[in-house]
Amino acid sequence: MTSKCEATVRTVGNLSVVSLSGEVDGSAAHVLSAAYEQAAADGPPAVLLDFAAVDYINSTGIALIVSVLAKARSEGRRVVASGLSDHYRLIFDITRLSDFIQLYADVDSAASGINEGAPA
Amino acid sequence: MTIDPEQAIPLEQIELSVHEAASPAEPGKARDAAFWAPNVTRLTVDADRAAAGFNVAGKRVTGPQQGFGRLWQRTYTVKLGSSVSPQQLITEWKDHFGDFWPKGNRFHGLLITPGEVAPIAVNTGAGMKLSTGVLVLYADDESFTFMTPQGHMFAGWITFSGFADGAGTTAQIQVLIRPNDPIYELGWFVMRRMEDRFWKATMVNVAAHVGVPNAVVEEHTNLVDKHRIWRNAGNVWHNAAIRSVLHLLSAPIRRIRRGRAH
Repeated sequence: MTSKCEATVRTVGNLSVVSLSGEVDGSAAHVLSAAYEQAAADGPPAVLLDFAAVDYINSTGIALIVSVLAKARSEGRRVVASGLSDHYRLIFDITRLSDFIQLYADVDSAASGINEGAPA
Repeated sequence: MTIDPEQAIPLEQIELSVHEAASPAEPGKARDAAFWAPNVTRLTVDADRAAAGFNVAGKRVTGPQQGFGRLWQRTYTVKLGSSVSPQQLITEWKDHFGDFWPKGNRFHGLLITPGEVAPIAVNTGAGMKLSTGVLVLYADDESFTFMTPQGHMFAGWITFSGFADGAGTTAQIQVLIRPNDPIYELGWFVMRRMEDRFWKATMVNVAAHVGVPNAVVEEHTNLVDKHRIWRNAGNVWHNAAIRSVLHLLSAPIRRIRRGRAH
């Protein structure tokens, strides 16, 4: 399967930021997994998944996000998210992912929120 | 279960129904919005299926992080070659979903559409049926996903999909699940074997239906998170196996009450 998802990794404050773009579906498995490994390589306390440039997530994509969340939990690392549209915030509610991933409006508010321990 | 090849729908007809179902997204609305179930706090079961859904009505859905045991990703695949496209496969799978299940199990769903709540009865092999259900969380023309309610053996999602690669179409079932409570976690190795038998038989039936007899199902299991979530140990209160036994034992009392009411 050819992936329509791309990921870049950078550091903002204490956060390792994975900026995703395109479509997060089953074909994004390798992209997401590799991006997380890269983001976690330096042992940051938290990884931010930024969905600002994502225009499509299906249920397989949600399952991939949970896999990342579970892997991070097993490593004692927080995963937070930013840039979700209202629609995908609702999807995170429906799937109850929002019970476990702190959501922020954007990367900057996530970076300051993580430092202050405050929600979005 | 016996699948009658004569009942197979002509492929041209399936193609038409797929195209008819596809519609452009409304302006300002996400193009996948129609594929997701609406947000519900607690599940409801319509009156016609209330008896089958006694362990579902009023329950909340549970994602993998609401379960108790270790988190597993299990994948079953079967190669179907060029006999069917991914879209045709999913159309057929949705339309005949319960028919593909192994004998003795029952799916009470009407349609595989987002938001549908379907009671199910699973043959435990111990002379008892475990009553639980699923919510259709997501459905498009190449995949559909169920989410489980409180009390189900597993907390998580089951995704059924079809995709094309160089060798043609592959059908896939992928589950991302935690055993829902400590009792189910203790029984994981038994349930794992039951699940293998169940989904492999289902996929063989699906393959036969689309013209691939004696298909070989491959299975891959990945332990995603070895940690248990102890704060969810209280999920045992909703355990559908225990409640199914209690429901069975209390059947005579319900019959007497109904008799008095009439």
